[in-house]
Amino acid sequence: MNEQVLTAVVTAPGLAFIFLALGWMLGWTPAERTIVRITAFVSLVMVGGAAWMGYLMLATGQAQFYTSFGDWFRVGEYEFTFELFADHLSLPLVGLTSALVGIVGSFSARYMHKERGFFRFFMLLLLFAFGADLAFTAGSFDLLIGGWELVGLTSVLLIAFFNERREPVRNALRVFATYRLADIGLLLAVFAMHYLAGSSEEGHLFLGNWPAQHVSMSPFAATVVGLLLLWGAAGKSAQFPFSGWLPRAMEGPTPSSAIFYGAISVHLGAYLLLRAEPVFIASPIAAGCVVLVGALTAFLATLTNRVVSDAKTTLSYAAMSQLGIIFVEIGLGFPTLALVHLVGHAVVRTLQFLRAPSMLHDYRRVHAAAGGDVGRTGEHYEGVIPSGVRLWLYRFSLERGFYDSIADTLVVNPILKLSSALASLEPDRGPEHAARKPEPLGRPMVQEVES
Amino acid sequence: MKSDSHDPAADASDHLRHLIDHLAHFLPAQGPIGVFVHHNTLHAFQHKPFEQAVVEAGEMFGTEPYWSEAKYREAFAQNRIRTEDVEVLLQGEPDGPVLDEVSRHQLMRAMLIPGIRDVRPSTVRWELEEGFLRDRDATLFDLCYRVAGGTVPPRKPTRPRDGVLQATGTDIDDVIHPLLIRLTAAYVDQGLAYWPMPDREFGFWSAALTVLAQPSFPAPELTKLSKYVPKAQAMTAEDGLLFALRTLSISEPHWEDVILQELLALPGWAGMMRQLEIEPELAPHDRVRASLMEFLAIRLLLTAAAVESVLGEPETWTEYVSESVRTHEDELSRLARAAHYMEVAQVLGLNAARLSRNDDARRLAEAIDSFGELERRRVWHLAYERRHERQILLPLLQHRKKYGLTSPKRLAAQIFFCIDDREESMRRHVEEVDPDIETFSAAGFFGVAMNYAGIDDAHGVSLCPVVVKPQHAIRERPADGHDELYERRLKLRKHWASMMRHWSVASRTLVRGWLGTTVLGVFSIIPMAARILSPLNYARLVRWLNDRVLPEPRTELAFMRADHQSQEATDGLLAGFTMQEKTDRIAGVLSAAGLFKGMARLVVVLGHGSGSLNNPHESAYNCGACGGRNGGPNGRIFAAIANLPEVRAQLRDRGIFIPEDTWFVGGYHDTCNDGIDLYDLERVPETHRRDLDRVRAALDTARARNALERSRRFDWAPDDLDAEGGLRHAQERAEHLAEPRPEYGHSTNAVCIVGRRATTRGMFLDRRAFLNSYDANLDPTNEALGRLLGAAIPVCGGISLEYYFSSVDNEGYGCGTKLPHNVTGLIGVMNGYEGDLRTGLTWQMVEIHEPVRILFVVETTPQRVLETIYKNPLNWEFLNNRWIRLAAQDPETGVIHMYRGGAPGEDRWELIDGNDEVLQEAPTSRDWYRGHSGNLPLARIQSGKTAVGA
Repeated sequence: MNEQVLTAVVTAPGLAFIFLALGWMLGWTPAERTIVRITAFVSLVMVGGAAWMGYLMLATGQAQFYTSFGDWFRVGEYEFTFELFADHLSLPLVGLTSALVGIVGSFSARYMHKERGFFRFFMLLLLFAFGADLAFTAGSFDLLIGGWELVGLTSVLLIAFFNERREPVRNALRVFATYRLADIGLLLAVFAMHYLAGSSEEGHLFLGNWPAQHVSMSPFAATVVGLLLLWGAAGKSAQFPFSGWLPRAMEGPTPSSAIFYGAISVHLGAYLLLRAEPVFIASPIAAGCVVLVGALTAFLATLTNRVVSDAKTTLSYAAMSQLGIIFVEIGLGFPTLALVHLVGHAVVRTLQFLRAPSMLHDYRRVHAAAGGDVGRTGEHYEGVIPSGVRLWLYRFSLERGFYDSIADTLVVNPILKLSSALASLEPDRGPEHAARKPEPLGRPMVQEVES
Repeated sequence: MKSDSHDPAADASDHLRHLIDHLAHFLPAQGPIGVFVHHNTLHAFQHKPFEQAVVEAGEMFGTEPYWSEAKYREAFAQNRIRTEDVEVLLQGEPDGPVLDEVSRHQLMRAMLIPGIRDVRPSTVRWELEEGFLRDRDATLFDLCYRVAGGTVPPRKPTRPRDGVLQATGTDIDDVIHPLLIRLTAAYVDQGLAYWPMPDREFGFWSAALTVLAQPSFPAPELTKLSKYVPKAQAMTAEDGLLFALRTLSISEPHWEDVILQELLALPGWAGMMRQLEIEPELAPHDRVRASLMEFLAIRLLLTAAAVESVLGEPETWTEYVSESVRTHEDELSRLARAAHYMEVAQVLGLNAARLSRNDDARRLAEAIDSFGELERRRVWHLAYERRHERQILLPLLQHRKKYGLTSPKRLAAQIFFCIDDREESMRRHVEEVDPDIETFSAAGFFGVAMNYAGIDDAHGVSLCPVVVKPQHAIRERPADGHDELYERRLKLRKHWASMMRHWSVASRTLVRGWLGTTVLGVFSIIPMAARILSPLNYARLVRWLNDRVLPEPRTELAFMRADHQSQEATDGLLAGFTMQEKTDRIAGVLSAAGLFKGMARLVVVLGHGSGSLNNPHESAYNCGACGGRNGGPNGRIFAAIANLPEVRAQLRDRGIFIPEDTWFVGGYHDTCNDGIDLYDLERVPETHRRDLDRVRAALDTARARNALERSRRFDWAPDDLDAEGGLRHAQERAEHLAEPRPEYGHSTNAVCIVGRRATTRGMFLDRRAFLNSYDANLDPTNEALGRLLGAAIPVCGGISLEYYFSSVDNEGYGCGTKLPHNVTGLIGVMNGYEGDLRTGLTWQMVEIHEPVRILFVVETTPQRVLETIYKNPLNWEFLNNRWIRLAAQDPETGVIHMYRGGAPGEDRWELIDGNDEVLQEAPTSRDWYRGHSGNLPLARIQSGKTAVGA
């Protein structure tokens, strides 16, 4: 019975998505209220299920819930097992996702009212909830990738939500490319698990109950796997060197910014590392890299954030810096602290994102209550920095650490040059041809008339 | 710089300065968003006739002058435009033969009704191939194709970005905008960023260059910037701009075009720079030395650097003109034109054989071209407005004929409202609830222009129309015996502020943010869930806590001033009003309303405003006559002054008799949650308690009914609400974090009626009419009318035109949907993380609006109103250039004339008559609107005697 609860929590949003998608393909666009009711029902199932499991865990001391759907397929020695499980790590995150989907769903019902993409938004929200739950409860890293990619896909589609304007689409594309680049790391990590440890299943890899788990991998294997996981996690959690995409993700509607970049999606990378915590215990090198990446990101993000003058970007850099600290906590071996921090941060940031349009109003109220002077900011540590360096830091932060220029110069442009060079090898596909030779138009039709 | 006027360099600088001053008028004139003032979006074009201005502006900004043809056709299908409207309008258009059997009028009529399908170059090929065009006639199409010739001359790039784009496919706007936007946003930031921009006190040019001079890793398209910055640092902004223009080889004759286009590439930011330059006090917290010249100089410096980085030579951008793409587009548009001609010919029943006679095909084509899309939309729009005129004026006329003038029989009380269109329904409901109450209206600052600070405000703000600069400071202060409570409140609020401030900064920084989110973070799910799932209960809880912790002291207004007291040295404001000034203010409002005597025992003066959450555009819903702020204090002070016996004595000398047993009460109406607060009730004499109770009961019922009526527009409100439910719904909207439409504001506004309430009392005007109390019989000199229209035309006209433009082109003139808006620098909103500042109204504010120019109906004779308007140059410009519409209703006979142009003496008026719109009747407002969410026709509401279900 308890296994079915877990299944229900994970699959409810997925089933709702499929139901709506099939209906839509048959030409049914449900009324706003119907969509909202379905979402509310799904989130009730999710919250109820998560609460029930949480209650059982506390009451009975049960360490995890586990349900298996057997093997999906087997190729030679490889088997893709379809297993879900919830333990002390996944359950809080499933609970968080459930609660936030409910809250953000309720928020969006009002917020998105009459918007052209209302239906699309809720479809993507449900698909995202399914992806996140799947990633959190996946019994193997193979399955986790499935959820991970669904979260990435919905994230990108929601950034490009206002697809009649150019910027959202461009920025979504950039985020998508960054995700792809980072996901290579995750894929390689899973390959390495299979190759070096023979499996990517949670139960085979890690022994004991989270957070007191250990891994039976050689330090070398753990280092390789750990570094590759870090590569993947850094992309999803906007850590160095992938951090530049986060502000671009602010093009979407506010509620999606909130649940994705304040809460769930952006913390998925941290979850990945927490899941694989034993790997980092086994490899001090990998753990050290996690600390380094986290610390560097936290530092750069908090520095950059000091000059940001718009509401959503400042929240995104604030989120990035706290994520950096969460990475540090993970790397230093404080998984429980990291989990508490993660959940607390996700909640605070979601509310801040949802209230981002209030920043003007709040400031004015505080300003009035303070008697017209809120005091100056930026005079904390700044006193010790020489003024010349301060100026340079200002430029550095204003240009967001030169992230875009560096990425354009070192990565984007070389790839574009390479691909256009490759394209020009093909006779009719050079860039000039594409731009300058329109197909003959109109004339033939008229000639046909004349003949 | 140099005094010699023949010095070419000085001449160039002069020219540049003048040019920028001139071109700046084309930028949006919206200041920081915290104070939103409605104005004519095309103010810069107001000296031209409306129909010409919208087209010229459309060309300049790439915006739409009217709705699309499809929208008008939709209105035609719904009978909102009728065939007769189109026919009447065509009568006014020039006629003449096109072909022997076809006149120009016939051609135009056929192109409108049944109309020609819209064939676009982008889809014409597909339509031809799929045979979707009207019965394809091959020979006819060939003929049409032949006369559809003509090519567009090759166009030179107008600004560097176009040339570079043609040459390389690189859009340098994409390169310089992120940097320019960040620099500008940081420069004008009012306190959002943790580090203020260094060197701001030296101006934008200097501050930006200081930052740009720092070592950097430049974007690939800006590698040459480091070469330009040191050179520029040695120059003034003006010289820097000249230098950039020279470098880009833009010669003086081309300056105007290039600079205009460069400014319009980011109109929001450029406009904000300009607004802060001419009115630095608009900045809500930090005054900055803004300058459009400096903004432009940085922009062109970045442009020059980008052009050189991409093309190698900065001046070569002028050479690139793309050939192939143009030909391609020409061919498509020729096909589309041919298809268009063919359709017209077929509608007119002309075949190929007929058209190949003489040069008839060409003559037809020319005639069709001369009635192009813009022309058709113009006629459609005028027809749309004509129907609106008849929908308003005919029922008004019939109402007057049938019911005459209606006033309460036994006067119980009088209530003054603002002229705001949203108060129309409130007044109607008050009168329906208690027919013995009479209502009046005046511009919502009630003649009291003041700089006001409440006990909770840090600084004073102007509560008056933006064109007025207040001379007097009024301060709210704790009443006797409440000082202690006030001190405590002050202290607690300071603690609260420092806590909130600390948290909002800390949660975004590293270490403090870590502590906050780890320790407390998870608990914030409780307020979050409460706020979103049950906003009304959350708000009640917060209010309850506030009342416990921060009880409000009783207060009074400091507004007395002895005649000889002088101005405050610091802010140049006079503290309070003298007796003379007080009397002037009361006399002004009462005499304009025609209220010289016969006041009721109780007169309530209600200012208004609107409170909503999570809404950067909150101020746009406030009282326009109070400069986008809430007008409660104006009502309060008006009442306080009118209660002074000395003032009443002086008023008597001016022929205004306030009975001794009349008491004034000030109040505030929140148009969002329909809350009503009355002030200083403890001062109301014991003798007036029962009057007060009666008025309060009426207001209480009326506000709930008003909320219920408003709910009909909101899809989220259940259909079966009662009045209490409607009120709760309105309150919930005001407290809902996720609500992008807390109220609809002035949406659907279309009419401004200036006249006695008796002419409109009992009419359902659907919250679409501004109402000004005015009695022409008591104003023989037209003086009161002049004062009244002097405010009403710019204010109501400005609101109407802002709604007009934001709804005909919501992306171009308005600011699009609210959902991706991002508050930046505490002065505005932009889309996403690096966009232009968005100005105008949001889509959520105008989605139900009918774009028509406001129709003024003034209850006086045509001659009197025209002469009055003619005397005021600004108002005459509004009217003469047709930015507003005007009708006059005779006070004696009720006959209505519509103004059709001309200065006094040669003015043309049309007598309004007919039965194509009929005044309908309903027992109550509720019966009339129930079950409808769209605009409703005017109706006579029988009386308030019938009980209203609810």
